[in-house]
Amino acid sequence: MHNTLTRVQNVFGFFTSVAFAVAAAIAVSVVLSAQSPSASLELRNVQVVKGRPHYYSTKREEYAHVKFDLDADLSTLFNWNTKQIFAYITASYPSSDPSTIPPSEAIIWDAIIPANNALSHQNTYIHPYTKADTKTKPKKPTKKSKKDKTSKPYPAGTQPGILRLPNQKPKYQITDISSKIADRGNATLRLHWNVQPWVGALVWDNRKTVGRWQGLKGGETKFDFPALKGTEGIKKEDLKVETGGERNRGKPA
Amino acid sequence: MFGSLAALQPRQLAAQILNFALVLSTAFMLWKGLSVFTNSSSPIVVVLSGSMEPAFQRGDLLFLWNRGIETQVGEVVVYNVRGKDIPIVHRVIRRFGGGSAPLSLLTKGDNNAADDTELYAHDQSYLDRSKDVVGSVVGFVPFVGYVTILLSEYPWLKTAMLIFMAASVVLQRE
Repeated sequence: MHNTLTRVQNVFGFFTSVAFAVAAAIAVSVVLSAQSPSASLELRNVQVVKGRPHYYSTKREEYAHVKFDLDADLSTLFNWNTKQIFAYITASYPSSDPSTIPPSEAIIWDAIIPANNALSHQNTYIHPYTKADTKTKPKKPTKKSKKDKTSKPYPAGTQPGILRLPNQKPKYQITDISSKIADRGNATLRLHWNVQPWVGALVWDNRKTVGRWQGLKGGETKFDFPALKGTEGIKKEDLKVETGGERNRGKPA
Repeated sequence: MFGSLAALQPRQLAAQILNFALVLSTAFMLWKGLSVFTNSSSPIVVVLSGSMEPAFQRGDLLFLWNRGIETQVGEVVVYNVRGKDIPIVHRVIRRFGGGSAPLSLLTKGDNNAADDTELYAHDQSYLDRSKDVVGSVVGFVPFVGYVTILLSEYPWLKTAMLIFMAASVVLQRE
């Protein structure tokens, strides 16, 4: 039978098989791209104060505010199948019973770093200009260029995935499930990432070398949570958090 | 359509029906097999909202994995709120417990300004990994699931599709 319908069906069937094969090849081929990420992460300051989970709550909890210095080169994580990288820093600390319960962990800062060919979206991280950047690139981003749809969140000529953030504020103040976080020792600050592809598997950070993907060196630092401080002794600016580009106002699901 | 069905021999008609049943049961078995393999009640989900943009958009297809129950911070999980049957795809931002204790998780959409405490059931501040979470996202295919969103949002499309399928059956008889 060679009527129009069978022809259309054949063409559509062939198209889907080819699309599937190409997508599979792209998804699998990422293991061939070499990666050599590196990072240095240092604690700048950590403070623990009393606070409320939200404005109308009567619950009083202890919140830790962690400031840090990050110097990371994740540019090699961007290959032909990388849409974006979700970079995040976690604080982990021993649980109430370290022998049987793994450490507790919480994200203190995160950023969505888009690839150069990703569509522009308001919820991507715009790396701040540092003094060194403005010297080499005298053109500061004006308000107009920020609104420009084609503008990328990186200064021209630099690659995505290079993060230089001295004295960075956290995005989240963290607390424990028990609402107490002061005076906990042996905590670790750690850089992680999640590579999100155009198609295929999601990949998280690796500390060990796997094939052509080198493990992350550095990006980890030890610290202790200090004693609880009264809010009177601390300036409000010191407890400010970074605001992200999240703009979802629809159904939260 | 009924005219062409009546024109078929009884054997031919039976074979046609069996063939159709075979296609349906194969699809059902594949789905359930994948469910057993991934240990997840729904191993493939379609993204329904923009709360994880720009990573996941409406209509993207996600593949879930539910073996290895020790979910880590930074993983993207699909969970159902107690008492509601809407699967939600969000990222784990805090974890407490695990091992010998029950694992409690706090989630947040990458594109939501606040965490999910408000979304959870009234007396709930954390998700219970073993009860609430359907699986962890491991794979991603863009856009393919959009047809299911179209079908649920525009019911006339369902009718149109049924008519088209019926028509194609009749046409192929000739």
